[in-house]
Amino acid sequence: MPREPLDFEDVRPIGGYDFRQLLRLRPLIRPHRALLAGSIALVLLITLLDLALPLLIRHAIDRFILPAAGGDPAAAEAALQGLSLTAAAFSLLVLLHFLFSFAQSVLMEATGQRIMHDLRMRLYAHTQDLPLDFFAKNPVGRVVTRLTGDVQNLYELFTSFLSFLFKDLLLIAGIAAVLLVLDWRLALVTFLVLPPVAVAAAHFSRRAREIFRTLRIQTAEINTRFAETIGGLRVIQIHRAEDRNFERFARLNLENYRTGMEQIRVLAVFLPLIEVLSLAAVALVIGYGGSRVPGGAVSLGALVAFLTYIRMFFRPLRDLGEKYNVLQNALASVERIFLVFDTPNPLREPPAKAAPRLSRVEELRFENVEFAYVPGEPVLKGISFRLRRGATTAVVGPTGAGKSTLLQLIPRLYDPTAGRILLNGVDLRAWPRAAIRDRLALVLQDPTLFAGTLRENIFQGLPPPSPVQEARIVEAARLDRLLERLPAGLDSPLGEGGGAISAGERQLVAIARAFARNPEIILFDEATSAVDSETEQAIQDALERLLAERTALLVAHRLSTVRAADEILVLLGGRILETGTHAALMERRGFYFRLHQAQAENGGTPPPESPCAGQTPML
Amino acid sequence: MPSLELIRPYFAESRNRILAGLGSLILVDLLQLVIPRVIKHAVDDLALAEPQTGRLAAQAGAILGLAALVGVFRYAWRMCLLGTSRRIEQGLRDRLFAHLQRLPTAYFDRTTTGDLMARATHDLQQIRMAAGMGIVALNDAVIMGTAAIAFMAYIDPVLTVWALLPMPLVALGTRFFSRRMHRRYQAVQVSFAALTEAVRERIAGVRLIQAHNCQDVEALRVERVSRDFLEENLKLVRVTGVFSPLMLLFTSAGLVLVLLVGGRRTILGAITVGDLVAFITYLGLLAWPMMALGWVTNLVQRGKASLERIAAILAEAPAIASPTGARPLPRPRGDIAFEGVSFAYPGAAGRSALEGIDLVVPAGSVLGIVGPPGSGKSTLLSLLPRLYDPTAGRIRLDGRDLRELRLEDLRRAVCLLPQEAFLFSGTLRDNLTLGDPAIPERRLEEAAAAAALLETVRALPAGFDTVVGERGVLLSGGQKQRVALARCLLAEAPVLLLDDPVSQVDFATAAVILRTIRSLVGRRTICIASHRIAAVGFADRIAVLDRGRLAALGTHAELLQRQAYYAHAFHLQAIEEAAHAA
Repeated sequence: MPREPLDFEDVRPIGGYDFRQLLRLRPLIRPHRALLAGSIALVLLITLLDLALPLLIRHAIDRFILPAAGGDPAAAEAALQGLSLTAAAFSLLVLLHFLFSFAQSVLMEATGQRIMHDLRMRLYAHTQDLPLDFFAKNPVGRVVTRLTGDVQNLYELFTSFLSFLFKDLLLIAGIAAVLLVLDWRLALVTFLVLPPVAVAAAHFSRRAREIFRTLRIQTAEINTRFAETIGGLRVIQIHRAEDRNFERFARLNLENYRTGMEQIRVLAVFLPLIEVLSLAAVALVIGYGGSRVPGGAVSLGALVAFLTYIRMFFRPLRDLGEKYNVLQNALASVERIFLVFDTPNPLREPPAKAAPRLSRVEELRFENVEFAYVPGEPVLKGISFRLRRGATTAVVGPTGAGKSTLLQLIPRLYDPTAGRILLNGVDLRAWPRAAIRDRLALVLQDPTLFAGTLRENIFQGLPPPSPVQEARIVEAARLDRLLERLPAGLDSPLGEGGGAISAGERQLVAIARAFARNPEIILFDEATSAVDSETEQAIQDALERLLAERTALLVAHRLSTVRAADEILVLLGGRILETGTHAALMERRGFYFRLHQAQAENGGTPPPESPCAGQTPML
Repeated sequence: MPSLELIRPYFAESRNRILAGLGSLILVDLLQLVIPRVIKHAVDDLALAEPQTGRLAAQAGAILGLAALVGVFRYAWRMCLLGTSRRIEQGLRDRLFAHLQRLPTAYFDRTTTGDLMARATHDLQQIRMAAGMGIVALNDAVIMGTAAIAFMAYIDPVLTVWALLPMPLVALGTRFFSRRMHRRYQAVQVSFAALTEAVRERIAGVRLIQAHNCQDVEALRVERVSRDFLEENLKLVRVTGVFSPLMLLFTSAGLVLVLLVGGRRTILGAITVGDLVAFITYLGLLAWPMMALGWVTNLVQRGKASLERIAAILAEAPAIASPTGARPLPRPRGDIAFEGVSFAYPGAAGRSALEGIDLVVPAGSVLGIVGPPGSGKSTLLSLLPRLYDPTAGRIRLDGRDLRELRLEDLRRAVCLLPQEAFLFSGTLRDNLTLGDPAIPERRLEEAAAAAALLETVRALPAGFDTVVGERGVLLSGGQKQRVALARCLLAEAPVLLLDDPVSQVDFATAAVILRTIRSLVGRRTICIASHRIAAVGFADRIAVLDRGRLAALGTHAELLQRQAYYAHAFHLQAIEEAAHAA
């Protein structure tokens, strides 16, 4: 838990928004343009009805009420009939208005939600293909915020901004035209307030932009903090660190509050300013226009009309302020979303034509492979070895030697920074990634399980297995004990309400998943570390049966796991120190021999030259 | 409405601000009603055709002055009212966070992280909007509505009654739709939370998804959840989409009535044409409050649905808490006794995780725990710091039931090293001290050395100040495990509970760690669960668990003699050791 002031290691773009980013949304809109066009057409119809309704009232007054007012009963009778007809027409239009409004809401929502759904799915598909490097820099909470909150923000853009674009802008342009026609001189004088409006808008949008960006970043940070606290709550509770953790969160939350207040302040200055300017326009019309009435340059009627129209003119302009707010917020999110989209994926796929076809994995060869998470700090150096079909290779070595990293190069979770890995003699990077990934099974140190049933977790994305296959896999992975505890068997849900499943059992499920994939290459990274010897032995036996025709690379600490391997790689400090069979390595009496001795001594003294030698525990 | 109680304190706390804000809002509305009067005077003057440039300038100046006042008060209400809503958001989020930290582990077994994340951001945002703009719009609607109705009544009370005839329908409609809207919003928020969790889970497991080339399958699953969210939103808009235009429809219905009745009255000479026109103008003024009312109902229902979701968490009592009036435990010795302890995970069908465990671990002794996966080893250990409470029986520390102790004291006395090491994003130092500045460097180094971590620390670019975890240096599984162990050793608790402390480290490192643990024998009570016989062999007594029951209890030698499981495990681990050590 860092005590340094809040630092958000988020990329923070500077300068103006690139409105062109909005254009990048076009491909998303294209499939839904019919719906969108329908929705816009409805907006126009509704606006027309809005304009028509007052006209109908004027018609009723001018045609029927005014002529018949106080007149003779016969004329009144006819007028009343006309009035009823007009009222009926009015009712009809009102009903239409209601129906159109409803249809428009539904249509707009459907369009907006579909576009957001598409965007979310594209972003998700893009994200889950990104190199792991991206996830090392971006905590889960942040990525999740991009996919949920930020996409949701963009949705606001569609519902409120589009309707603004087609309704309010139309209204503003129309009224400006009417004003110019009524009295161009007075109109131009009135428009004098527009440059200050533009200047104010530019100034405040610059301020607001920074604030909205900060808000988006802080929201992601809050999400991250929640996710991490929930993930590590056991540790926090056990160590009674709740108060310190809270203080740290409260600081972030306060920061977020202050940014929020800053946002309110900016808008609290901007929006009233627009209002003041609109009233200044009224004052101008009264002052300047009024002075021209007595001379006859402006008619009183025109002045009154002017005043009416100016109110109508500034209302959408003020709305523009609010809408601009929404736009800014959405733009901050668009920016974040495209930051993810624009994350380059260095793990390039070869062009489809050029890719060779893979019939069977015969051999995997590491040639002088080097790998560094951080440039200049390689964790693997000069790694060369060969994995053959049907052979089992084991990797041993102290923790932090680079064993897991080595394993993860094979499914191309990372690509080597130097050297290469050859699959059947062809560089791994020349194969489509699916070629190797579809043929391997990886069991990680911390098994990943998803919400869903046990069955879904084991047969993740595979065609439904036959009962015989199912039974074989359950048997091979020693899931029988777990299943006997779960009344619903393989259909028991994991996660919510499913009851706790232990770390060892999770490893067994992950192993079952690996078996279910029927892989040609099997990669075990400490796959049985939380499992007892008896279960491990059973899995070993199953593995040996399974491995007959396959290529296997196992990382293990227990030498019992390693012994039977065809070849053992001893890794130390990112280099291969020794290779050979168990017997050969024991013969050499090198590092492996000493590792083995330490174990044989039943956890006694460490080997003399191990990395930990010479330390004296002092508690 | 108990959930509303949640935000009441924030309203009370900033009552003066809110009152100032509402006052400003009312002033703005009133000033806006004055401005047309000024304009009317100016126009009337001009109609009299008396060229009075001075008067005109004064009137223009008056408008400018009023405009400035409107600006100032607008600024004031925005700061006061919207600021309060930000404060509510912040306050509730703090409360939510603090509360979550006090909830027992069992709560998190049945809730998803994604759901909680959605509540902490999305739901709080909805509450903020309802509490901010919702109140403003409501206030606006009430003032403008009242003013419009007053003007109408001033012109013609009878016609006003007619015009307001559809109003009861508005009330009925609001009631009818509010309830539906509320339910729909709840459904939308639930599906948003599900979406958050679906995405979160897959981002967290992206390594496996990529390695197994399962992107398409997983994307399909996310797509399903995302589509649910879409559908829920469409169901919602069927309610909100009717409601808002309906409000306007009722106003328009009033207009039709005014046209019919008012027209008749005008024709019959009861009122003048001018009156009718003015009346209709004011009725038009009523349209905005009606729309605002629709909008407010929407905002408020959404906020309420969210508030209930927050309230649901806050209502979750911390089932595991210090009892009232607990006596302190100043100097714990570390005598542990399990008395007929059974435990079943809440909501889990099938057999209990633990059944009828009777065990005594005297202070300063070592208990080893072995057993196949799922036999209850971790569960047994997690009962001691009260991550869970037994469903039957009891556990005593120094003779006192754990549930009678202050949680603070218990957790100071007992330190558990969980099976899976967890690192926070932050520096290594912070991960070890968990932010406690009182721990000196020397102790940090001692603990790191004891956990065989010091070499690793020295190899890191910034030593203890290296950033590790989610966005720092990637540590290997074994390194994480040692960080967690060092963290636990720093706690200096008299009772040390180690859940598989050497599972992910090589044997040489394990040897160092085990030596450390053995050096603590006699000074601490130690319970250690492990699959490596080497890690439990030295224990005073070893418990063999099987299917949640205590299958055997004895020393290493005794169990080798008479316990098949233990003997077999030892055999498996020792056989080749014997063969190859030679």
